[in-house]
Amino acid sequence: MVKFRKVLGLIVLLTSLIVLTCLWERHAHGAIRFLTPQNLRNLLPWIGLFGILSLGEALVIITGGIDLSVGSVVALVGIICAVLLRDFGWPVAAAIPASLGIAIAVGGWHGVLITKGRMQPFVVTLCGLFFYRGIARLITGDTTRGFGAAYPHLTWLGSGFIPNDGSSLVSVPFVILLVLAVGVGAYLHFSAQGRHLFALGASEDAARFSGIPITRLKITAYALCGLLSGIGGLLIAFNVNSLGPTDFGSFYELYAIAGAVLGGCSLRGGSGNVAGVVVGASLIVVLKNLVNILEIPSQLEYVVIGGAILAGVFADEMFSRRQAGIRTTA
Amino acid sequence: MIRTLGAIAMVAAVALGCGQSAKPEKTAPDSAKPASAKKALKVAFVTNNASDFWKIAKAGTEKASAELGTEVVFRIPSTGTAQEQQIIVQDLITVGVSGIAISPKDPANQTAMLNKAAAAVNLVTQDSDAPESNRICYIGTDNYQAGVAAGEFLKKTLPGGGKIMLFVGTLDAQNAVDRKRGIEDAIKGSGIVIVDTRTDETDRVKAKRNTQDALVTHRDLACLVGLWSYNGPSILSGVRDSGKLGQVKIVCFDEEEEALQGVKDGYIAGTIVQQPYEFGYQSVKVLTALAKGDTSVIPSSKQIIIPVKVITKDNVDAFWTELKRLTGKH
Repeated sequence: MVKFRKVLGLIVLLTSLIVLTCLWERHAHGAIRFLTPQNLRNLLPWIGLFGILSLGEALVIITGGIDLSVGSVVALVGIICAVLLRDFGWPVAAAIPASLGIAIAVGGWHGVLITKGRMQPFVVTLCGLFFYRGIARLITGDTTRGFGAAYPHLTWLGSGFIPNDGSSLVSVPFVILLVLAVGVGAYLHFSAQGRHLFALGASEDAARFSGIPITRLKITAYALCGLLSGIGGLLIAFNVNSLGPTDFGSFYELYAIAGAVLGGCSLRGGSGNVAGVVVGASLIVVLKNLVNILEIPSQLEYVVIGGAILAGVFADEMFSRRQAGIRTTA
Repeated sequence: MIRTLGAIAMVAAVALGCGQSAKPEKTAPDSAKPASAKKALKVAFVTNNASDFWKIAKAGTEKASAELGTEVVFRIPSTGTAQEQQIIVQDLITVGVSGIAISPKDPANQTAMLNKAAAAVNLVTQDSDAPESNRICYIGTDNYQAGVAAGEFLKKTLPGGGKIMLFVGTLDAQNAVDRKRGIEDAIKGSGIVIVDTRTDETDRVKAKRNTQDALVTHRDLACLVGLWSYNGPSILSGVRDSGKLGQVKIVCFDEEEEALQGVKDGYIAGTIVQQPYEFGYQSVKVLTALAKGDTSVIPSSKQIIIPVKVITKDNVDAFWTELKRLTGKH
């Protein structure tokens, strides 16, 4: 029940933010630009794209770990796919599985280093952050890559709508996020392995003594995080179609972490839920949109985002503490 | 004691390893080297980031290198920070180059570093000037004039005036400030109004979102202007996703592939290009002359200005063919 209250709290936060924006807009401009179909058509794909990254990040955060390499994996996967398609002339049906395979392998490798190598997740993935960025630059020789106009289906995956006309609000990347969220949600909340992940995050020793296969679980979690970063990375690449190897995807791990944390995942591990992560990731995207829509100077963007995350996490902490207090006294 | 020695030995080994692996990218003019020269003259060219723009400049340095027999060390700071440039310059002086042509990232705050370098080697600035420093001369675009050229082109594109919006990475870079000022001065009294300038911190995804948001916020925009090279493609992509291709005009700078395709397709009215090939070519030529004691190449203004060109549908094909030849892309 507490879980649902948490998501509810987030939704209330998101809704009140939107309502306040609309009121302000009506007051200042006489029209609500935030809710225009065009703005929603802008927002939904980005929520989908960044939400997928947050989903992957949430999986490892729940185990008590962290993945700092998400942004670099995004760059690596996007660039490898572009190179395979355009420089090597691979068909789409081969290039995409190959790129995603690399993403899974990278994630799994992190899991192996963390479990068998007994290294800290922060360190392993921090090294990954540098390493994959470097590989992406090496592969391309620092030249910008893209998919050109030859792959309309891929562009559709990253930025299209169903039906693909000028008025539909059913964004393809957003639908992909929902499908993935249902899948990850089923795995996390309704499978034995998912429950073991939470147990592992709450107390690794307790989980080990209860006979939970910790090594296998952790490797799975990191591999899934790699896969989701890969999917998100490919879709973002299809969307922007212009991949600068030095800057594409940089800082995205921080947005992914922010979305997951805002969505109720504790960096101490053992708590979090998929619905919250989707709402949390949406909140980050909406905040960035508000900075532009409300014509807040670009310089203040990070102030707004940082302040909002802090306020959200603080409110969440107060709220759950009060819940716990009521429970113990009742 | 033994442990300390071991640690020292390890550090030394790592340092040596780094020294060996960190070979700068060299343009060794083996075939063109005059047989008489025992030790080729060595000069360096330092960029401010990694992009296609610098590939073209590199072709220019190679041409000069082949003509003059000067060896050129071409260095690209990977994260594009002033701090990284400082390390590169220090290392180049250690390596013993006779001259350095650098595009300072943050001229106002790099004066001390530049002066230190100027005391050790022949220092010229290219692409971005640092007039406060002791640099011997500047080779490159006058960004104010480039802004004026863009402004004049805007007047031709919007004969009846209209609202325009500017998009740029950051407004703390001198070239952004100068281009903006040039545009502002050129459009004075023409009925063209700049309603806002949005920054994206060189994140292409954000650049695209800024465009999408602008089209929501200001429905009556006549033209979107991108000041940095990736802004053109980002604007084009944002306008395309908003379904406004052809309804809103685009003017941008530089020659990214997507921007040229946009000009060819008629969606971008024009792009103002610099001539980085000439930056590279002239820099090596000037540094070579200086190394030989010839100061007659330096004009009294201490500026060698390379004019900009406006690329429109009329001349895009010829320009693009030449560009592909220079960068070796097919």
